[in-house]
Amino acid sequence: MANDSQKTTGKKEKSFLRKIYDFLSGFHLATITFLLLLLLTWLATLEQIDNGLYPTLNKYFSWRSPWLIPDMVPEINGKKLPFYLPGGYYVCAVLLLNMILGGIVRIRKGWKQAGNLISHFGIVFMLIGGGVAHHFSERGNMAVYEGESSNTAEAYNEWVVEVAEVKDEAYEEVHVIRGEWLTDLKAGNPRIFDFKGIPFSLEISGYLVNAIPANQLEAPPRNKELVADGYYLQEAKGNVESERNLAGSYARVIFEGGEKSAPFILSGASFYPFTVRDGDRVFTVDMRKRLWPMPFEVKLDTFTADFHPGTSRPAKFISDIRRVENGQESKVRIQMNEPMRYEGYTFFQASYGPAGAGPGDTMYSVFEIVRNPADHWPEYSLYIVAFGMLVTFLTKLGGHLSASSRKSKNEG
Amino acid sequence: MKGKGSIVGRWIVAILALGALGAVFIGMLIDNMPKGTPQKVEGYTPWEKETIALVSTLPVQDGGRIKPLSTYAGFTMLGLHGARSMKVEGEGGGTFKIKPTEWMMDTLFRPDLAVDLPTFRVDNSKVLEAIGVEPKGRRDRYSYNEIEPGYDELIMLAKSYQPIAKKERDPVQQQTIDLAYNIRHYESLLGYFGFARSGIVLRGSGGGTEPDKRADLSAVMTTAPQLRAEIARTQREGGQIDDRMQDLLQQVVEGANFSKFSIFALPPKSATEEDWLSAGNAIMGVMTLESKDPETAIDDIKYLETAVRSVALGEKEFRKHFAEFKERIDSRTESRGELKYVAMETSYFKSDYFLNALVCFLLGTLFALAMWGVGQSKVGKILYWITFAFTAGGGAICLWAIVERCIIMQRPPVGNLYDTVIFIATTGVIIALLMEWMTRRGFSLGLAPILGTALIYLARRYELGDASDHMNPLVAVLDSNFWLSTHVTTITLGYCAGLLAANLSCGYILMRGLNLDGNNKGLRRALTKAVYGCICLTVFLSLVGTVLGGIWANYSWGRFWGWDPKENGALMIVLWTLAILHARLGGIIKEWGLHICSVLTACVVAFSWWHVNFLGIGLHNYGFTADKKFMIFIYYGAMLVFVGIALIAMLVEWVDKRSVKMTNDARDAKALEA
Repeated sequence: MANDSQKTTGKKEKSFLRKIYDFLSGFHLATITFLLLLLLTWLATLEQIDNGLYPTLNKYFSWRSPWLIPDMVPEINGKKLPFYLPGGYYVCAVLLLNMILGGIVRIRKGWKQAGNLISHFGIVFMLIGGGVAHHFSERGNMAVYEGESSNTAEAYNEWVVEVAEVKDEAYEEVHVIRGEWLTDLKAGNPRIFDFKGIPFSLEISGYLVNAIPANQLEAPPRNKELVADGYYLQEAKGNVESERNLAGSYARVIFEGGEKSAPFILSGASFYPFTVRDGDRVFTVDMRKRLWPMPFEVKLDTFTADFHPGTSRPAKFISDIRRVENGQESKVRIQMNEPMRYEGYTFFQASYGPAGAGPGDTMYSVFEIVRNPADHWPEYSLYIVAFGMLVTFLTKLGGHLSASSRKSKNEG
Repeated sequence: MKGKGSIVGRWIVAILALGALGAVFIGMLIDNMPKGTPQKVEGYTPWEKETIALVSTLPVQDGGRIKPLSTYAGFTMLGLHGARSMKVEGEGGGTFKIKPTEWMMDTLFRPDLAVDLPTFRVDNSKVLEAIGVEPKGRRDRYSYNEIEPGYDELIMLAKSYQPIAKKERDPVQQQTIDLAYNIRHYESLLGYFGFARSGIVLRGSGGGTEPDKRADLSAVMTTAPQLRAEIARTQREGGQIDDRMQDLLQQVVEGANFSKFSIFALPPKSATEEDWLSAGNAIMGVMTLESKDPETAIDDIKYLETAVRSVALGEKEFRKHFAEFKERIDSRTESRGELKYVAMETSYFKSDYFLNALVCFLLGTLFALAMWGVGQSKVGKILYWITFAFTAGGGAICLWAIVERCIIMQRPPVGNLYDTVIFIATTGVIIALLMEWMTRRGFSLGLAPILGTALIYLARRYELGDASDHMNPLVAVLDSNFWLSTHVTTITLGYCAGLLAANLSCGYILMRGLNLDGNNKGLRRALTKAVYGCICLTVFLSLVGTVLGGIWANYSWGRFWGWDPKENGALMIVLWTLAILHARLGGIIKEWGLHICSVLTACVVAFSWWHVNFLGIGLHNYGFTADKKFMIFIYYGAMLVFVGIALIAMLVEWVDKRSVKMTNDARDAKALEA
């Protein structure tokens, strides 16, 4: 039958693998992925108004989010209708695969397609750059007063737990539990952490993105929250500006004999760390935003804020700094649109303070610090894409014009 | 296969088009006509042209740049009055049209007349009812004297509404706050030259029998060092400051306070100082001995006093003294290198380029409709060239206006939303004319003036509603001529190409859906090609523009993509147009499908260009009020109507084809049987 069919249609039946390949490299899949990305981008744009940018991005474009239900999907009996969309990260991955298979491998090779091939290559490079930035870039900020210096950046959104021994009123080596080990910890679902040189383990559970310790007498717990020493973590709605969230969780100390301490609260809102004593040794356990050491020191000489004359419209923000490394000093100016790039770090002029400062007051400058291994990849990919598209555009335009002139000659 | 086309369809389109054209024309006339019934202003006489020309070019510092007083007056009047002209019934029962500079001159130099001018636009009569003032009509204008009886109530209400978050205020609350702000602003203008008109009363100088003498404030300023020394001495000795001196200082401070804001017309001599001074600043600078150049400040005030008082002596006298003052200011401004574009700006606003362009586009649209109606004939050819002349003329005027704006602003053409509208109108018309040059079908030519009319009308409406000077300098992060000229311009051109594609497709849908073209397949193919080309151009410009924006963001904030709604909007245009191109290449959509998708491109562009500004978040948030939001939904609705027409037409064609096929099949079957 198959042979008869081949004879009558003149077409060879495609193998299953070939069909899959054709689908993965085809225009249909490309169209679907573009439309899905369009939909996800639109929904994420609308959702960030109420939910803030950081949680929205985590929901729509993080690799931890393989699928999602948009907020605008209606609820029935308090449950969202099961309108699932694939996560943006995975749609991008499919698009990347489609682009490589269809736009580079399968595409007809010839002068007419040269522009498209180049553009596709540029897009592939851009998508890979996006992936690298997503997984490997770090962001933080550093605030420095005039005349002072700093060599530490603070992460915007990552809350960590720090455990350190106090000796002679100073901290010994600080042990850090990174945020990625904390954020999935629900109530009653603890994780135990051991530290080298620390004579106890830490059991942490019930991580909350934004919560404040509340006194059970002043505001009794409503959702059977765990009460520790008269206090419990009262969950609050996430701030639209996610860096203003104050994370919190519960913890217990497990000593070497297996004995567990009473639960205590670790909170970003606490002014002081929790103290643990083991014999003569004193330790602190604290929750705070991750600190990020720089390989050099930044000393702020002066900060200048210029406004357009007679207005409060900012014209220029300038930080004159000295970068100190291995005893060597270099003077650098950081201002809007002119960051400092050095040793893989980029320092941007982000903001300044204190608010309402008058002439002669000591100012501080806030730098946004980024380490991104794919820093310039989008730029390079733009050149490739733009060049490819220009070639395509000119090829098409040339073809159209020569066809028009041929047509008018024939008509003539 | 060519037929004559549907006569009914042509009539429908012609009526709709003429209706829309008429609406724009009437809107244009209303916008340019003085508002409300002419108010009677006892003894009002108009200013002479020479005087107006002289005052209009006085340089002032406002919004972070140097501009002519006429520009300041124009936007102030627009903000308070909602229009750039008003009509009053003055001396001898004559009706006079008052334009911004004249209105500002009345306010500054003839406040006794100005308080009766219908300066304040009040949209909601409930605002007036709440303060005990009898309202006239909807969106009517009121003079200061008419609102004055409810002044205290107005200020009290405005203060009580102020703590309510802006988003949560109802329209009456917001308008009450706005009116209170406008009244206060106007008062600062009315009283600006109060110090010059009244002078300083020297209490006790009449000796009890004669009235007290008056002194010029400038004369008092010359005694500032002695006054300060006397105060210091008294304080040192622990005594009380003399009552007469106390009274004198009180009058100086009051005079200075009234002229401290609004108009900053006194440039410092030193080029290193950027801030110009108001009269009040100059007075207080001298009186507190903080002025770096007291002599110049005192002389400036003296010249102003002479000019202001000369109003009572006649216009000629005023002109003479004001010219002397202006000469001082001009020479200082010139030495600072800030006078270069003042005259050009005066002429820019006086020329009202975009109104002239709108008239050209309206006429172009009218002739385009006639051209399409007549079809290919000798008359059709004449109409073709007339349409071209008006459209190209309108485009050239817009282009010239944009060039002048760039020179005045010293930056690339697009830096805010208003700029994008006029830029898209101009480039849209130019691209449409280029497409006409390539296709020679008369279709793109006809669409060009329609696009021009719609967008320039939109720009004018936006300027009226916004009432702010769009040539003011940009905030620090946007102040980069390189990125403005690359990223912003490219993105805006992308919007333009997308809208052009959508417009062409709207035309295509009407043409094919209503069979206006008599089934002219050649024309349809040419249009489809043009739309396809426009979509390719949209992809190219939007993608390059978006990535350039990313690179700019990476340079400025260290992130290639910040998920700002405006960035997302641009990305959505890229994704949508890429989806269209890939769907077309994959055979998912054909001719109808391409045009339907192209019309929907207009919705994606509108979301990116306008709608994201209503979201209230992001760097590109322009702070619009929600009441204007419904306009964007009307636009989406209009585009969906076109999609609906296309879907119905597709269905009709499909049914027709099917019935023809069935008839043919039946005939073939009969033939076979026979």
